[in-house]
Amino acid sequence: MAMSSIERVTAALELREPDRVPTMDVMEEYSNIYEILGKKPVPLGFLVDNKYASRLFDLACPLVNKLHLIDREMDHFSHDRVDASVRMGYDSVWTMHVPIWRFPDSKTATDIYGRYYDLVVDHKGNIGTPMYRGGLLSGPDDWDAWDKKDILRLPERANRAFSHIQKDFGNDIFILGSFLFGLFETCWQPFGFERFAVMIRREKEFMRRYIKFYEDLYCMMIEAWADAGLPGAVYSDDQAYRSGPMLNPKMMEEFFGDSFRRITETAHRLGMKIVVHTDGDVYPLIGWFADCGFDGVHALEPTAGVELAKVKEMVGDRMCLLGNVDVTHILVDATREEVFADIKQRIADAGKGGGYIVAPTNSHPGMRLERLRWMLEAVEEYGHYPLKV
Amino acid sequence: MAEQLEKVQAAVSDLDLDNIAPLVREALDAGQAPKDVLGAMCSGMAKVGELFEQGEYYLADLVLAGEGMKEGVAILEPLLVGEALEKKGKVVACTVKGDIHDIGKNLVCTMLSTSGFDVVDLGVDVHEDRIVEAVRSNDADAVALSVLLTSMVDSIGDVVKALESAGLREKVKIAIGGACTTQELADRYGIDALGRDAVEAVRIFEGFCA
Repeated sequence: MAMSSIERVTAALELREPDRVPTMDVMEEYSNIYEILGKKPVPLGFLVDNKYASRLFDLACPLVNKLHLIDREMDHFSHDRVDASVRMGYDSVWTMHVPIWRFPDSKTATDIYGRYYDLVVDHKGNIGTPMYRGGLLSGPDDWDAWDKKDILRLPERANRAFSHIQKDFGNDIFILGSFLFGLFETCWQPFGFERFAVMIRREKEFMRRYIKFYEDLYCMMIEAWADAGLPGAVYSDDQAYRSGPMLNPKMMEEFFGDSFRRITETAHRLGMKIVVHTDGDVYPLIGWFADCGFDGVHALEPTAGVELAKVKEMVGDRMCLLGNVDVTHILVDATREEVFADIKQRIADAGKGGGYIVAPTNSHPGMRLERLRWMLEAVEEYGHYPLKV
Repeated sequence: MAEQLEKVQAAVSDLDLDNIAPLVREALDAGQAPKDVLGAMCSGMAKVGELFEQGEYYLADLVLAGEGMKEGVAILEPLLVGEALEKKGKVVACTVKGDIHDIGKNLVCTMLSTSGFDVVDLGVDVHEDRIVEAVRSNDADAVALSVLLTSMVDSIGDVVKALESAGLREKVKIAIGGACTTQELADRYGIDALGRDAVEAVRIFEGFCA
C-alpha cells in the first residue's frame, strides 16, 4: 500500500526507505503561487516604481506599519503557499512565516531585528523579497536600546498562523515550519559583515549574550510550531558562500554549537524533525550539523560545488539529504529531457536506502512551474523503491 | 626584513587585530619607512590569502584582516602622501546593476588594493554607463564585476555591450565573480575570466596586467 506524504517524508527523515523518494516545495514567489491557485495577483510594484503611487505609499507607510497590514498579509501568504504545494502534489513544504517587515518609505524596508533593505519589483510587477542592504545596529548599546517587542511576539503569531495552516493541510502534506532568520545570519546582518567579523573577536561576551537571546527565541518558536501540530521545522541559516563557510568552523562550534544542540533537542523533545538549510559550499560544516542533531540538511547547492553522492558518503548514514536540484538552469530553462536526466541522477546519487528528499536548492524568481512539474513527474518515474536507477 | 616589520606582517597574517595599529606605530617610531611598513602589511595580507586558499582561514578571517589593514593604513596614509608607490594596474570594480550585495566585491577591492593595484570602487547597483565612464576617466586596465543574484546576470551583458559601444572593450579585460557566476555565463558574454574568490581574483588581475 502506498504511504501517505506524511509517512513518506517521516521515513526519509528517519533514514528509512519509503515507498518513493519524497519531494519538498521551497517556493516563495508570489507569481508562481498565485498561478497555481488560479488567483490573479494585484501587482503592487507600482507602489514602489510609479512616481505618484510611491508618494502616496510614502504617506501611508506609518499607518501600514502601525496596523501591521503586511504582517497580516504574511499570514495569508503562508497559507496560500502551502495550499499551492498541496495542489502541485508535493510531499512536504518548507513554510516561511515572516511577519517582520516595516516600511519607512516606499523604497525601503526594515525588519524587526535591525536590518534594512531595498524594495524590489519582480518581472511581473510584484514586490519581491526585499534585498538586504545593511544593518541598523552598530554595537551593544544599539542592541540594548533596540525595541524587542515585535520580536518577542513572533512565537504567538507563528502559533496562530500555523495552527490554521496545519488544520487545513496537515493531513495532506508534511509541513515544516520556518521563519527568518537563523542565529548566524541574525548575528551578522544587523551589524554588517565587516563589523561582525571584528565584534566576534573583540566583543565575545556581548556576542554570546546576543546569540543567547535568539537561541531562546528560536526554542520558543519551535514550541509554538509544535503546539500548532507541525511535524517538522527548517532551521534556515545561511552559513556558507561558494568559497566555503563564512566563519571558521571552530568558531561556529564555539559560538553556536550549544545553541544548535539546544534547538535540535527542543524539536526532538517535542516530537518534531528539524532540518538545517544553508546555501554555499557546506562540506566543512556538514559533519558538524549531524553532530548538532539535525535530522536533515538542505540546499546542497550544485553551483557551490556540492556533489550529492559525496555528501551521501559523508553523512548519509546520519542525516537525510534534501535539495541539490539546480535553480540556475535545470528549473529555469532546461528541456524536459534534461530535467528528467538530472532528477534521475540525484536519485541515483542519494536515494539508495532512503534518506533523500528531492527539492530545489532555493526559491528563485526564475523557476518555471513547468520545470517544477517535470521534476515531480521525474520523481514518479524514477523514485519508486526498489530503485531502478 | 627588520624585526619590527616582521612583527607587523605577522600581526596581519595572524589576525592579531588589536596589535596591528600599535605595531605599525612601533615600526614607524623605530625609523622604518612608511612605504616599507605598508609593504609588510601587504605581505601579511598575502599570507592571509594563502591560508584562505589552503582552507585554514575563512571569509570572516579575510574580512577581519581587511579591517586590520584599514586600521594600519589609516596611520600610514598621511605619511605616504607624495610617495610614488608602484602600482600593478588600475581596476574598476563594482556590483552590477540591480544587485546590492557587497561582501564579495569589498573583499576583492581589499585584496587587490593590498596586492598593489589601484582600485576604483564604484559600489553596488552600478549602471553600465557609470562603469564606462570610470574606465574612460581612470584609464583603467581591467574591470571586476560582482553579481550574486541569478536574476541580475544579464547586467553583465549590458556592461560588455556598453564597453563595446564606447570602443573600450578591447582596451580592458573583464573578470566576474559571485554566487551565481559560472564558466557558461562567462563564455556567454565573452568575459575574460571567472574568479571563485577574492584571492583568486588577485591572480587573475595580475595575469591581466602582466
